[in-house]
Order: sequence, then structure tokens, then C-alpha cells
Amino acid sequence: MVHKKDLQRVGPVVWEIPPTFRPDMRVPVRLLADERLLDAALGDESLTQAVNASTLPGLVGHVTVMPDVHQGYGFPIGGVAAARLTDGVVSPGAIGYDINCGVRLLSSGIPFADARPLLGDLASALDAHCPSGVGTKGSVPLTAKELDRVCREGASWALKQGWATAEDIACTEENGRIDGADPECISERARQRGRPQLGTLGAGNHFVEVDVVEQVLDARAAQAMGLQEGHLALQIHCGSRGFGHQVCSDFVAELQPATRRYGIQLPDRELVCAPIESPEGRRYLAAMACAANYAFANRQILAHHAREAFEEVLRGHVRRWELHQVYDIAHNMGKIEEHTLAGRRERVCVHRKGATRAFGPGFAGLPPQYRPLGQPVLVPGSMGTASWVLLGTATSMEVSFGSCCHGAGRVMSRHQAKRTLRGERLRQDLEQAGVHVRAGSLAGLAEEAPQAYKDVDAVVEVVTQVGIATKVARLRPVAVVKG
Amino acid sequence: MTLGYTGGVPSSGYVEIDHTADWALRVHGVDLADLLQQAAAGMLALAGALPVPDATTQPRTLRLQAADRETLLVRWLEELLFLLENQGLLPGPIQLEVGPGLQLEARLRLGPVGRLSRAIKAVTFHGLHVIDTSEGVEATLVFDV
Repeated sequence: MVHKKDLQRVGPVVWEIPPTFRPDMRVPVRLLADERLLDAALGDESLTQAVNASTLPGLVGHVTVMPDVHQGYGFPIGGVAAARLTDGVVSPGAIGYDINCGVRLLSSGIPFADARPLLGDLASALDAHCPSGVGTKGSVPLTAKELDRVCREGASWALKQGWATAEDIACTEENGRIDGADPECISERARQRGRPQLGTLGAGNHFVEVDVVEQVLDARAAQAMGLQEGHLALQIHCGSRGFGHQVCSDFVAELQPATRRYGIQLPDRELVCAPIESPEGRRYLAAMACAANYAFANRQILAHHAREAFEEVLRGHVRRWELHQVYDIAHNMGKIEEHTLAGRRERVCVHRKGATRAFGPGFAGLPPQYRPLGQPVLVPGSMGTASWVLLGTATSMEVSFGSCCHGAGRVMSRHQAKRTLRGERLRQDLEQAGVHVRAGSLAGLAEEAPQAYKDVDAVVEVVTQVGIATKVARLRPVAVVKG
Repeated sequence: MTLGYTGGVPSSGYVEIDHTADWALRVHGVDLADLLQQAAAGMLALAGALPVPDATTQPRTLRLQAADRETLLVRWLEELLFLLENQGLLPGPIQLEVGPGLQLEARLRLGPVGRLSRAIKAVTFHGLHVIDTSEGVEATLVFDV
């Protein structure tokens, strides 16, 4: 257990656990937090998990812990760790079961005032068009060959089916397709789970949310993104569904003996890993890329369904009902990237679990409209609270391997939320506050109550104070669909 | 909330424990086979899995083998999750034996699942140790949700 006395304050909102804290640490842990968020991080096992993560071989710099951190399994949610390609490891548990869980934001020219009377219908239409819930089957059951294509092509597969625009693809991290995917590395069981579920939202904390752009803080960036104050926007939060979960489960099992074989000592078996350049490491990265591409395609198909819902409800009532992609970003991913370490460029595998990429201006992988600004960073709130649109900065490359926070971060356990909150009452409260809610499970809704999360505004204040992101716009939810 | 204890000393059963983002269960069994049974019951209760009333069931035998007790526990629960999510099948009463070399044989009666209220993404190895106690065996399981 980590206590406050174990942390050294190294900046106004930066705290360090030095490697002397535990003999098996290889690098320091750095937490970005104000006093209140620090207390929240000390309230569970988050920082112990970050210390455990710091024992992975070949890590460089420090393990960064974002202000929205919370306890996960093995590696904390809100953690970033980079391992050298030459002697570092890749750990599936440090990326997560929901590989390429992420968020997509679409903007619109729909004035909130015009759409307001139709928001209940819009919530119902989104609920009807976007399959959600436990183990749901999607609208596009795949053959084995089609699944292989999805694995290799990602969101581009959806473009070929007519379910995407070229603009959507350009405004997706990695253009919606990670290199190196090899479907040969996918188990039969993962295939069985993946074939029926493409184009589904799932359950838990995944959602489709209609927002109104409440405040623009960077007019130039907001204009580039198509975000206008008082107009609607849409967020989609989901990942690779049972396909990605199975890929991670398969490799957490497969790497148990591999970790022993490579003589790697770990404080937690959920951190099992293999050298990045080993056959096991390469196989995992090839399978992970398949799941990441599946997730990009999944969010693309859900965006297509959301567009159908918008047209169905709003056509004839508003002048323009189209949705334009702002950006789509992963927050559970392992990426091979080049970073500057001690003045030298080096290739590393950046593990981001509950953390987004946040590259600054000039990054060649951004579409032209964002290249001078930096990469859009999407920070969804918690159903009843704000969400934020930020921009990555050059500072993030120095502080956090080009990474930022991914949300508000839980602070209350699901167990406690279930004990203290009632789904029906929560739905009534949200409706009274002007948020239309469609939820597959009231118990599930209670677990995801805004009270179970940290203050997203405080999280965003910390990342902007540290300088790893700048503010563009604040969004307010007006309709939410939960699985 | 106690889910599975029937009172007295919890030598056999399960209890939900706090975890910020996921679900966790502390499971007790008089022996490893009982622990596997209790863990299955606990996981299915967490998922809110209910059968279709009066539906026909079919027998199935599952055989698994693992290098250690923790891996056997994870693999067993993963098998049940797959049946639940992908096949829509819920086990009724389970007869389960663990033989030498950690070979598990489970005889199940599977029926259609009528309701499944929560999604479990995966069974994790996080902090997982099957511990021998004076009353049997114990483990704490974390499920990714």
C-alpha cells in the first residue's frame, strides 16, 4: 500500500514515488493530481498497481499516472508505461481486455434549441439503431473471411461497405487501422466471439451520448473540429467487444509460462509479459492489432447507425442533420512509437491503459486541419456531467510519452453504487436535469451513476495545468444510451 | 452485500468485495472442487444470469487441465462465460471433480439463459492466489467489467 508520505511533490500537481520505495521498481512513478485527486488515488490500490507496473523489464522514463486513475487489474486504469524495443516487454494486462476501447466524437450543425423537443425521440432512435446490452448480436454478422478482413483493414473495411466517409477515416487515430495485424494469431474462440458482435455497443460503461457544445474555449481549434456553441455533438464509447476480451484472455494465459521462461519476476500474474521482439511478444502485438482494428470498425459502424437515427428523427425538422467526425481515439492500446529519451530518438512500446494518445502540433499522422493545432483528445464525463475536448501538446511528449487522461475516473465501487443508488431514481433525476436516458439495465445504470465518478473538470484542470493538453470545448449531455 | 453465504463460518461460499471499477469476489471452498463450484455460482450471480423457466436442459461434460490451481480456476470460469455469452447457455447443477495433475471434469446440465443483466469481460489473474486455510481453500477473484 502506498501512503501520502511515500510521495514526493515534484511540481504543483505532480507527485513522484521514487524507485527507492520498493527494491523491484525499475523506474519512478509520477502521478498527476491536485490534493483532492491525490487523496482519491490513495483511496484504493491504484498506486500500488502503478508501482507493480514499474517493475516491468525495459521501462524507460517513468510510469505516468493520470488524474483520472483508479484501481484496475494488474496495471491501473489511467496508467502509461513505455518499454524499449530492444530490451523491453509488452504486457497484455497493461493494455487491458477491451483492446482499443475508445471514444469517437462527431460534430453537427444542429442547433440545440431546434432539436430540443425531439431529444427523447432521438434517444429512442439511437437506442433502436445501436444494438447494446450483454452479449448482444450486431447487425453485421461476419463470415470467417470477412472477420479476417476487418482484422486487417479496420475502419477501412466499413468504408468499403459504404458505412464510412473518407473524412471519418482521416479523422481516426492511425486512420482506423493499426499495422501488423495477423489473423493467424487469433484463436478459434476469439473468432466465435467476434463474428456476431460487430456493430454493437456492449454494456457496462459504454455509451452513445448526445451533447450540446456548452462552451468553446479555443475558437480556432473548435472551428477546425466543426464544434459550435449551442449545437449538438455525439460521442460513442466502446471497444473490441468479446473479440478483444478473448484476445487478451488468450495471451494472458499464453504468456504465463513465457514469463517464467524468460526469467521475468513479477509482483502480479496479471502483468505477464514477453520481450517485445520475442516470438510471443510479436504474436501478441499482431493479435492486439487485429482487435484494435475490429474496435475501429465497430465504432465506425455504430457511427453509421447513429447517423441513420439522426436522419430518421431530425430530417424535416432541422436544416442540417449530418454528423461530421471530429476524431476517434483509443484509450486501451499498446503502440510502437518513437520518443526522445535523454536527447536520443528511440522506439518504444507505449502501453496506455485508460489513457489516450495526445500528440502535439506538427505530428505527421494528423489530418491537415489538425496538424498545426495538435491531436484532439476526447475526455468523456459521466452521463450527467460535462465532457471535454482538448488538444495534445508538445509538453505531453516530455511529460507522459504523448499521453493524456481518458475520462473522469471512477471513485466509488460498483458494489457501493449498487448499495446506495437506485437506477430508476437516477433515471428520473437525470431526466429532470434534462438528460434523456435509455438504459438496458437499471442496475447497470446505477453502477454508472455520475456520483460514482470523480469531478471531470478537476481532472481536466490538472492535465492543462501540467501542460499535456489545452482546452477546446466543454460539452453537456442531453441524451444518453447505455447498454 | 453477501451473496452466497448461508450463515455461520464461511467455509463454503462467496462474498462480493469492493473494487473501484470492476467486480471482486472472495470465494471459500472446503476443497478445490468446492472452490470452483462456489466461484462459478458467485460469478453467475454477479452476472445476474437467470435460466428460462422449465426449459429443456442438455448434458455436457467439460474437461480442463492446468499447470496450477489459479490457472485452473480462471480457465474454468472463462469456459462458463463463453457458454453464457456466446452460446446463451446457463449451467444448472454442476458435478465437478478435480483429479491428479489438476485435471478437472465437470458434468453440467445446460439450459437457455433467460436473462443476463451484467456483462463480464474477463476473469483476471490480478492478485489471484488459491490459499490453503484451516477450513479448506480461499481465493479472491477480480472480474473485468
